[in-house]
Amino acid sequence: MTTAPPRSARPVRPRRSPLVGVVLIALVAVTIAAGLVIEFDLLPLVTRFTRGWSVISQFLLPDWAFLVRPSTVAALGTTLATAVVSTAVGAAIALVLSLLASRVTNRSGALYRVVKLLLSMVRSLPDIAWGLLFVAFVGVGAFAGTLALVMFNIGIIAKLTAETVDAVDPGPLEAADAAGANTAQRARVAVLPQILPGFASYTMYVFELNVRAATVLGMVGAGGIGNLLAIELARFNYDNLSALIVLLFVVVLLLDQLSGLLRRRLAR
Amino acid sequence: MSAVPSTLRPAPARPVPPPRWRLVLVELAALALVLVCLAGLQIKWERLADLPASIGLYTSLMVRGLLNNPFSEPWSGYWLVSLEFMAQSLAMAWIGTVIGAMLSFPLGFLAASNTAPRWVVIPIRQLLNAIRAVPDVIFAIVIMVPIVGLTPMSGTLALAFGSIGTLGKLTSEAIEGIQPGPVEAVRSSGAGPLQLLRWGVAPQIMPEVIAFWLYRFEVNIRAGAILGVVGAGGIGSLLSNLFGQREWDRIGIALFVIVAVTMIVDAISGAIRHRVIAGAPSRPATASGAIV
Amino acid sequence: MIRFSKVSVRYPNGTVGLDEVDLDIPDGQFVVVVGLSGAGKSTLVRSINGLVTTTSGELEVNGQRVDGASKRQLRRLRSRIGMVFQSFNLVTRTTVLRNVLVGRLHATPTWRSLLGWYRKEDVELAFQALERVGIVEKAYTRASQLSGGQRQRVAIARVLAQHPEVILADEPVASLDPPTANLVMRDLQRINRELGITTVVNLHFLDLARAYAQRIIGMRAGRIVFDGSPAEADDAVFTEIYGRSLTADDLLPDVDVELDDAEGPAG
Repeated sequence: MTTAPPRSARPVRPRRSPLVGVVLIALVAVTIAAGLVIEFDLLPLVTRFTRGWSVISQFLLPDWAFLVRPSTVAALGTTLATAVVSTAVGAAIALVLSLLASRVTNRSGALYRVVKLLLSMVRSLPDIAWGLLFVAFVGVGAFAGTLALVMFNIGIIAKLTAETVDAVDPGPLEAADAAGANTAQRARVAVLPQILPGFASYTMYVFELNVRAATVLGMVGAGGIGNLLAIELARFNYDNLSALIVLLFVVVLLLDQLSGLLRRRLAR
Repeated sequence: MSAVPSTLRPAPARPVPPPRWRLVLVELAALALVLVCLAGLQIKWERLADLPASIGLYTSLMVRGLLNNPFSEPWSGYWLVSLEFMAQSLAMAWIGTVIGAMLSFPLGFLAASNTAPRWVVIPIRQLLNAIRAVPDVIFAIVIMVPIVGLTPMSGTLALAFGSIGTLGKLTSEAIEGIQPGPVEAVRSSGAGPLQLLRWGVAPQIMPEVIAFWLYRFEVNIRAGAILGVVGAGGIGSLLSNLFGQREWDRIGIALFVIVAVTMIVDAISGAIRHRVIAGAPSRPATASGAIV
Repeated sequence: MIRFSKVSVRYPNGTVGLDEVDLDIPDGQFVVVVGLSGAGKSTLVRSINGLVTTTSGELEVNGQRVDGASKRQLRRLRSRIGMVFQSFNLVTRTTVLRNVLVGRLHATPTWRSLLGWYRKEDVELAFQALERVGIVEKAYTRASQLSGGQRQRVAIARVLAQHPEVILADEPVASLDPPTANLVMRDLQRINRELGITTVVNLHFLDLARAYAQRIIGMRAGRIVFDGSPAEADDAVFTEIYGRSLTADDLLPDVDVELDDAEGPAG
């Protein structure tokens, strides 16, 4: 271009909201503070590596014979059975609670707020806290683990399903209202068919989580593979431990494939 | 609905209900599965009867611990200990999520079929799946504790590695879900591959990915509890101590701290997530009606 | 008889939905309400069954007061009033039959509806309703597989299953193509004549209003500005209702309508 473009007032660059700067500084500050709290130190990764390696190398020689012991098979069975039962029970209770935790299906203000608060509190306790509580209530064993997982499941499924209920198409609800249906009938006829696919998907997701969580719970006395893990760890039997870990790994992968398959069939 | 009077038109036959035996069979099989598992667990049902009583008893013990003046000794000490350990759990979760996010971000690109070639995508995806299959506590026991020792750092690293699997997978799914338009536009301006990712892909996925990171932070706060039980730091060690010694009043305080802190952090994180996904609220119009 | 006495609807943000409306609709009449969007025709129709709450005035349907009704009274009132919606409002993931049974919910105890075990008599009524609209062969088809016109017919069957005293229709044909729209309007008209059910329809297509209404009510800014027979409703009247002259959007597109069984059992 040989001639300059006509002069017009150039806009002033809008000032960046100061909020962005504040947030970034806060993030960095939080990270540094957190690092200090945990005494962040990557040096041991290098300096202690050889010492650690002597332990890790023991893990690399799994004792496969351990897996075919009847106690191991029983423990795996217990873990899986716990996952199945607690998913089923948790899902059933969660379905009802999720309807109470959504303004769409629960039009009473007080009950809605109470249920939402309770669900929030249930979700805020980590799974092992529930495990420790139920072991204290009913003694060690799979029963405690099942109850703990039921609470864990209710927290997750109810929240996810309640969000799905919030997002349903309001049209059929209006039609049910206009036909003179009461709140329960409205939920059953207009809401439930819309949320079932999502609900089924959450239930299967939670089942996978349960198998992994059942392991962890076992470490605080709730039975199953976790129990075995804790025992072998305490005895420093790293070869048995690694065999168990591989078993766990394979089971979770298989379940992953299975649930993927089921999810695809259900989506039809 | 035609000119022919309805009395002369033959009424169409009512259809028969379709067979539902397949659905019923599946439902019965599922029910049978649950009952078999229930039987296999060999639950002593008498214990169920005791449950309400023991829940009542222990809950009242916990509440009694809570109701004591938190500013007087020894209660203030208990509250401080609980808060310290909870802060440690939070710190572990935060740093673990930060490290996990940083490591999973490039892996996400390598695992997305539209940003990496197939021979890279497939093994990386399997790697991510493998990492996801292992609970964090296993990482801690097998790798971190032997090397780094019984410190919160090993727990942090365990959380970091555990997060890589899920975050990597979610990131790759977000990348695969982008609109091709903006990428084409950047490419047509002559940008190189890294610039393409930086300007064409990243802006589209960042809100979603940041939301995943925050969600994973919330998950890690809870997942980190078990690490304390095996000595890798966090509130878990306090809990297993207290439960072991059956100190119910201190347990009440610790659980209260856990629930309160977790709910607060969840609320803040949730608010940030919503803001990030929904974008900044639009500025209101000025009095004259013009939008600033 | 539907009676409006100085009924107003004022929304919280100040908008006026209805402005002191006085209206009497005798039993068995087929009324079509026309007007621009926001003129109040939807508000008028929806206030009859309480989906829109009136803020002042008295509204009475067959002796029952709508304004100030309790939730239980509203439910009982609504069981006697059927409503057809613009977007059909069917539950797409279930069968046609179960959609029609929604119309029998008011007479079904809650435990039965939760389990989905409707009484034989209610199922029979549902089938009869489907036969009346001529779509009974689709009873076990998923609602998602039906065309727009078929869905609206199922919605009408749902209303018929209630055995209502009043039928309300809020823009029932706005989502349908012209031939189907005519068929649906003819169904509504036929039901009104054969069963004597008071029908109030809200439309924005003027030619349909003129073709099917027994009485036309024109609304503008929440008030009734015209109330008379289709013969009296010429273009000049519509100009006054709309505040502007007619445009092409106000009439159904000029299509050769085959008014015999265009849909038939396969459609």
